[in-house]
Amino acid sequence: MLERLLSLVGQGGVHSYADLARQLDVSEELLDQMLQDLARMGYLRPVADGCEAHCAGCPLSETCTIGGPTRVWTLTSRKPTPQIERSSRTGNGVRPVA
Amino acid sequence: MDREGSLTAVEHCQTESEERPAPSLNILTGQTTITVALAGQPNVGKSTVFNLLTKLNQHVGNWPGKTIEQKMGTYRQNGLTIHIVDLPGTYSLTANSLEEVIARDYIIKERPDVVVAVVDAAILERSLYLVAELLPLPAPVIVGLNMMDVAEREGRHVELEVLQAALGVPVVPMVATKAQGVRELAETIDRLVHGDIPYQPRCPQIRDDHRAVLDEILALVGPHVPAPYPTDWVALKLLEGDEEITAMMRGVLSDAVWEQVHDILMAHDDALVAVASGRYDWIGRMIRAAVVRPQVGQIGLTERLDCWATHPVWGMGLLAGILALVFWLTYTIGAPLQDALDTYVVGALADWAGALLASGPEWASGLVVDGIIGGVGTVITFLPILVIFFAALGLLEDIGYMARAAYVMDRFMHLMGLHGKSFLPLFLGFGCNVPAIVGSRVIESRRARLLTIMVAPLVPCTGRMMVIAFLTPVFFGRAATLVSWGLIALNLVVLALSGIVINRIAFRGERAAFIMELPLYHIPNWRTIGLLVWQRSLDFLRKAGTVILVISVIVWALSALPAGDVETSYLAQFGRLLAPLGALMGMSWRMMVALLTSFVAKENSVATLGILYGTGEEEATLAAILGAALTPAAALAFLIVQMLFIPCVATVAAIWQETHSARWTLFNLAFLLVVSFGTGIVVYQGARLLGWGI
Repeated sequence: MLERLLSLVGQGGVHSYADLARQLDVSEELLDQMLQDLARMGYLRPVADGCEAHCAGCPLSETCTIGGPTRVWTLTSRKPTPQIERSSRTGNGVRPVA
Repeated sequence: MDREGSLTAVEHCQTESEERPAPSLNILTGQTTITVALAGQPNVGKSTVFNLLTKLNQHVGNWPGKTIEQKMGTYRQNGLTIHIVDLPGTYSLTANSLEEVIARDYIIKERPDVVVAVVDAAILERSLYLVAELLPLPAPVIVGLNMMDVAEREGRHVELEVLQAALGVPVVPMVATKAQGVRELAETIDRLVHGDIPYQPRCPQIRDDHRAVLDEILALVGPHVPAPYPTDWVALKLLEGDEEITAMMRGVLSDAVWEQVHDILMAHDDALVAVASGRYDWIGRMIRAAVVRPQVGQIGLTERLDCWATHPVWGMGLLAGILALVFWLTYTIGAPLQDALDTYVVGALADWAGALLASGPEWASGLVVDGIIGGVGTVITFLPILVIFFAALGLLEDIGYMARAAYVMDRFMHLMGLHGKSFLPLFLGFGCNVPAIVGSRVIESRRARLLTIMVAPLVPCTGRMMVIAFLTPVFFGRAATLVSWGLIALNLVVLALSGIVINRIAFRGERAAFIMELPLYHIPNWRTIGLLVWQRSLDFLRKAGTVILVISVIVWALSALPAGDVETSYLAQFGRLLAPLGALMGMSWRMMVALLTSFVAKENSVATLGILYGTGEEEATLAAILGAALTPAAALAFLIVQMLFIPCVATVAAIWQETHSARWTLFNLAFLLVVSFGTGIVVYQGARLLGWGI
């Protein structure tokens, strides 16, 4: 799942939570958790937590309407090694973690 | 306590495709006392469950050697004494925090007879990660599915039977705040330890290629794993790069074995993703199987609207339409108000002040009427336009549309070849160019960052938009909406062309990736919008009372000195130096000076026009005077140069601060002068050819 997420995002461009969640067949909540996990692992980086991150010094920062509370992530230079093709997503060809 | 019989049945997790008879636990082999650990994330109601089970039979201490609180308690059920240990609240068991280490160490070292994982049914996705980590540990797990009422209220229906079958462990629905499900939980614990319930956990899985790596590590470290750590689990944690377990194994393995393990781990440093990925796959399957979430209400509405609003083609069309509507509204409602304010308030004030100061020295009346009222007064007539413009933007932001605008714009920028990493700072520039410049820090490469900074002032900030919002109807009357729209479109085209150059030169065509969270659409909060408009208006008035006032006085002084006649003033002498350049765009020296004063703050353009075209003393409004003084071609050129001109002084300071280079700052100013005047000349000459220069 995380490998697929990284490969979808790695194609470049801008992705919305809704788009990615639909493609991975998960809820946006789970997607958000995965994004946070990937950020912890060093594959993603948050680039804007709304306006706060970049607006120090802007006279309009208190009332800024652009940017908003949107969370934005971007890929870091860290890349996973290529995934070996899996025969299905439901468990064939995979074995228990422990 | 005798634990002879415990846990033998959970030493393995089975795959979901395995079809085996469900084994039962029979923990009790002559025991009269068992231990149950309560695990769960913070705020899932774990403490409430603990209190309901143990009532007053509880005591609080600290975890051995730690400052974290440990709660323990006891209850009795069917002649069995059950000790309950409340584990610290944790999101996972990955040794990210002391709480997580305490929780997993307790389960591994103390081996409770049962672990109850309290999960929040309303955010089951988030809660299940912990369960995914608990299942492979050597203790049987019962899932206490708490907050069922909240989940149902939010339209999430959890199918218990399905979840139970998918997890392979008992699931007890609960509403702990209403004491519902606690008795059933106690009964389930009792039945599980008596072997009355089948226990067949279905654990997360790992890809075969990584499983092979795991097996290799297992073979190397297996014989050396100290008791009571499960060998499988230790090998997995090594693969995950768990610092605590890595340090522990480093201490017990010989150098030769450690080197082999280390080499394997180094060669598979992405195994962490593979292991976590297995858990997410597992969570995804559980949720798909057991959670029914009808797409109604806010979420359903958002999805339906986003089909249009975030569509690559319709989304852009909608954005262009909304932008046009905002301008149309601003002009339709704002322009007459502005006109009235100009005539009845500023004009009347100028008449009154003129009459009052008629007996005084000429310079005093000139300063107040031409300088202050002509400059600041004219800018203040902006206010209605500004209020409507910010109210419209605030409304779009508050209902959640602005994030979609960013999203479709980003797509558009990508189509134009603009690198995503420079898009984000540039987008921030629509509010104000300063954050755009500072925001370029997100770009690692200095070369790309510099180029992004160079084009950031081309983003039409709200200051420029305001000047455009004010001047366009003055010049173009009913066609103002179309012209404003076209001006912004032209601005974006210039920006996109610059983006293509940046991308080619600095990023070499590489594509960056972004993930954006788009908030749900919701009904606007009028108070928030009102506050926003109020704060911005206040900010604007503060600026009018300070920067614009000072510049107005300076411009007036330079336009009055030395002889009191504008035509022979210092400003005119300076302005005439620029006249040859202005002539190429059909602009008088007055227009050129107005452009230059926008360097301090964009609104100064209007103030300067007010002073130089003398609204203070004339009967006609500034709109009428300007409308008569400029041809459409020259007016268009003026607006275009204004849009693309050098930014305000705050932005220039930010450029200097971020580039740490006076050379780059000066280069940028020169670049913008060439782009703005170049475009202005081309448009003016083109428009003249079309016959608009008359």
